[in-house]
Parts: sequence; C-alpha cells; structure tokens
Amino acid sequence: MKHKLQLQDGIFTIVTLVLLLLLNIWMQEIFDTKTLIPMIFVLGVFLVSLKTQGYFWGITASLLSVLAVNYAFTYPYYAFDLISPECLSSAIVMLIVAVMTGALTTQIKQQEKTRAESERERMRANLLRAVSHDLRTPLTSIYGFCSAIIDNYDSLDKDQQMELLSKVQDDSEWLIRMVENLLSVTRIDGEKVQVKKTPTVLEELIDAVLVKFKKRCPNQAVIVEIPEEFISIPMDAMLIEQVLINILENAVDHAKGMTTLSLTVTVTEDSAVFTVTDDGCGIPAERLDKLFTGFSDASGAPADSRRSNMGIGLSVCSAIIKAHGSEITARNTPDAGAAFSFSLKLH
Amino acid sequence: MSNKFKILVIEDDRSIRTFTKTVLETNDYQVITAETCESGIMMFSSYRPDLVLLDLGLPDRDGLDFIRTVRNDQHATAPILVLSARTTEHDKVDALDLGANDYITKPFGTAELLARVRAALRVSQSSFNPLHTSDGKFSLHDLTIDYERRLVSIAGEEVKLTQTEYNILIFLAKHPGKVLTYAMIIHEIWGPSDDGGVKKLQVNMANLRKKLGIKPGDNRYITNELGVGYRLNEGS
Repeated sequence: MKHKLQLQDGIFTIVTLVLLLLLNIWMQEIFDTKTLIPMIFVLGVFLVSLKTQGYFWGITASLLSVLAVNYAFTYPYYAFDLISPECLSSAIVMLIVAVMTGALTTQIKQQEKTRAESERERMRANLLRAVSHDLRTPLTSIYGFCSAIIDNYDSLDKDQQMELLSKVQDDSEWLIRMVENLLSVTRIDGEKVQVKKTPTVLEELIDAVLVKFKKRCPNQAVIVEIPEEFISIPMDAMLIEQVLINILENAVDHAKGMTTLSLTVTVTEDSAVFTVTDDGCGIPAERLDKLFTGFSDASGAPADSRRSNMGIGLSVCSAIIKAHGSEITARNTPDAGAAFSFSLKLH
Repeated sequence: MSNKFKILVIEDDRSIRTFTKTVLETNDYQVITAETCESGIMMFSSYRPDLVLLDLGLPDRDGLDFIRTVRNDQHATAPILVLSARTTEHDKVDALDLGANDYITKPFGTAELLARVRAALRVSQSSFNPLHTSDGKFSLHDLTIDYERRLVSIAGEEVKLTQTEYNILIFLAKHPGKVLTYAMIIHEIWGPSDDGGVKKLQVNMANLRKKLGIKPGDNRYITNELGVGYRLNEGS
C-alpha cells in the first residue's frame, strides 16, 4: 500500500522523540537509573507508529531511538557504538514494535473503511428499495388511468376523462419531485461526500425557495423572518434550496391542521440557523428518532400510502446537510407543531 | 405563404419533440424540428426561424456549438430558448453567456413553455423595447424610469438609487425578459477585468431590490435566478 509521507507525521515524530529524549535526560538526573530509558523510547516508537500513516515514521522513530539510546545513555557516552550486541538487539526489538504497531493500526483503519463502505452500501440498498417501491405506485396508477382513457375513450364523458387526466398529472408531478430529490443525492454521492460551495446571498436563496414553493403550494402562506443585513453563506445553493422546499412541502403534506408555516433564519457569530416551524399535529414520538433515516420503514408502510415520500425527502435533507458538515434536527414545539432546523457555517 | 411565427425545435428525445411540436402547433405556431446539432444548424440557415428551442444534450455535438455558430458565424439574432435538464447552473450560465436568451428547466408544462415563447417573441419582434412608453420612459407595473432625468419612481414616489444601482437597473431594463448572468452585468457595469465582482454585484443588487420594495418570494420587477443571474420581468 502506498502512503504519502506527510509533513504533519514527520513533525509529530520529531516532536515526540525530542520530548521523550528530554524526559529521559530529566529522569536520569532524578532517579539516577537507566532502566526506564529503553521503555520510554519503546513507548515513543509505539505512539509514533500508532499516530502516523504507514510504516515509514514508525521505523524511522525506532532507528532514531536506538541511535539516541546508543549515543546518550549507554557506554561509551556521547559516542556511537553500533556493533555491540546490546545495541543490535534493542534495535531489533524497537523495529518489531514499530512494524507490528504499524500493521495493527493499518488493519484497524482498513476495517473501519470497510465498515463505512458497507454502511454506505446498506443505505444505498435501502434507499433503492424504498425508491422502487415508491416509484412503482404512481407509475402503476398513471399507466392505469391512461389505459382506462384509451380503452374507454368513447364511453367516458369529458368530465370523467378530465378527472382521470388530472390524476395522471398529479402523479407525474409527484414523480418529478421524487426524481429531483434522487438527483440531489447523486450530486453528493462519492467518496468524500463534499459539496461544492459557492457564496450565496441569503435573501436570494430564500427568494428562490419561496417562488418555487408558491408555484407548488399556492394556497399556503409562509411567514418569513430573516436578518435585514446582507449575508452571504457558502453552500451548494441548489441543494439547500431543495432542503428548504422539502421541509416546507413536508409540513404541507403531513402537518394536519396547520394554519401558519414559518421560515426563520437567525445569524450567530459563525453560523446561520435555518428553522421551519408549523403549528400542525406534530410528529409522533416513535417516529421522531427515525425521521431522517425513515425510508427504511417505507417497506413496512401500507401499499396505499402513495404520498409517503416523506421518508425519502427528509433522508435527502439529512444527507445534504451532513455533506455541508452539519446536522438537521426535528422536534415538537410546545404548541403542538413541529420544528425542523439546521445550521450552516458562515465561513 | 403563412404569416405564422416559425419555431425550430432541436431536440433528440422523440417524446419531448412531439410534445413541444403539438403544443406549439395547436397554439398557431409553425414548427420545424431537428434531431441533431448539425441538422439544426442547416435548418436554421435555410428556414430562418423566428425562434429556436434548443436542447443542450444532443447526440452529435454539444448544443452550445449551435448557439456559437448561430450567433458568431451567422450573426443571427433570433431568440434561442434552451431546454435544460436540471443539472448544474454551469450549463445555463454557459449557454446564456454565449447568447442564448432564456432557459426552461425540464420538465416543463405547456403554460410555462408558451409563456416563455410568447415573451421571447414579443421582445424580439418589436423594434423598440416593449416596456418603453411613447415618451421614451420605461414602465413596468408601477415602476417608471425616466432616462433623461435619471429618475426612478414607484407609483409616483421617487426612489433614490446610487450611480451603480441605477446603472444595473438600466442595463436590466434594456433587456426585459432576458436572464443576464452575473458575468454579463459585471462586464457592463465595472468593465471586463473586475475580480471578485460577483459579491459587489450581489450587494448592490440586494440594496436595489430593497429600495424597490421587493421582499423575498415576491418577484415583482426583478426575478433572481439563483446561481445564474437576474432577469427584469417582461410585464404582462
């Protein structure tokens, strides 16, 4: 395996060794004994092997330690005597410690990587299952409504045809939104899960969100409170726009009895906090903790819960916010509604 | 010889081509179609359409090549509306910077398609700015610009703008209905070699919008195209 020899690791190695060398000199003064010296250098080699990448720095540290012990702490003092059997055997011990610790940490790191990968794989499989389930339902009905119209073109009156067609339209619109969400997920897919951030004016973002939201839910007013001053936040604007629209639409779809829906942004010293609050029925306690990974229970949902894209919409929100290095949270407010919030760093 | 507007649709996907053709024909436009960039360019030079609907992802060449050829080589001014899939803002910005007039994000409905086509044709067909009144002023809803006196007012109330804000507004007013990218506006207002201009533009724009009384979610005079640019609404 190839490892980049990082400057950071080198500095760590040198600092550790110098500190231990000083510690040794000090200890020798105080305790007047040399038994601790090799132990402390072994500890140093262990630490370096543990904290640095690959084997290089561990081996370097062990060789340097051997030289240091040889030079400063064994007879002849302040001179090298590299061929003594004592020196060779301590070198071998140090090398073994370095190599084995290196091997162990590499193995652990490898395991962690595999675990993260399989976790991601599992998430993807779950999402795929939920998506296929959620896509099939509206597609089935679109297909059904269309064949109904084609097969019974002459026997259906205009109103009936109109009704079926508007259902086809509804379902297609729903599908479009679903696919938009999936596209957002693919944008943040990839090893690093890092998004490309560009400075975005808060007021313009909120403006774009509201214009789009108004198009989809023309009857739902949104009370907006944002700071007066000019604020620019680094973000992937299209993704954050999607997050806010998802949360707002989620409220419209699921907060039963909602009368007011509000979107608030407050700015603290180093971050902007976005909060969407409704005064609807709130979120059942048992769903609250699984809300953002909720697509996994879509498989258990009854087949007729066609508009249950809540799971996917919110999972997408969570993934997007995570990719921005933050966390999205949901809670029930004292006056029975629900509040979703997340924060973004200003710098 | 018909006097219908001629629209060239360049799109490789058969369903979308059929859909746009049907919608446009039922609304009294004459439609010609092309499936590739190459044939699109050929059709354009032989039929001289009044407007082009262009898909960017064409099988033979990038749709941007079409815009380049039509604008640079043929010096044609017919409006080009880009049909863009929801990808990055980048494609839109490139297309607009090359001379496309507007974009419609797929999937789009009939109402939106027709509105954009009508707006683009109205602007391109009138030899003068459709928002200019007979006495040389500019008027959109209750917003008026008196170019001679450099006076901007809303419902008769004067709005005090800085020099830069006024210049930006005037530039937008010269191109009603067209999305102007950040780069275009910066180039016009501050000249070609201006670094970090986007922030400056955004600050000025925020002030301008505030002074015009535009609240978030209300795009009365100026529509903000997130990550792309701004558009002065074309009225109607």
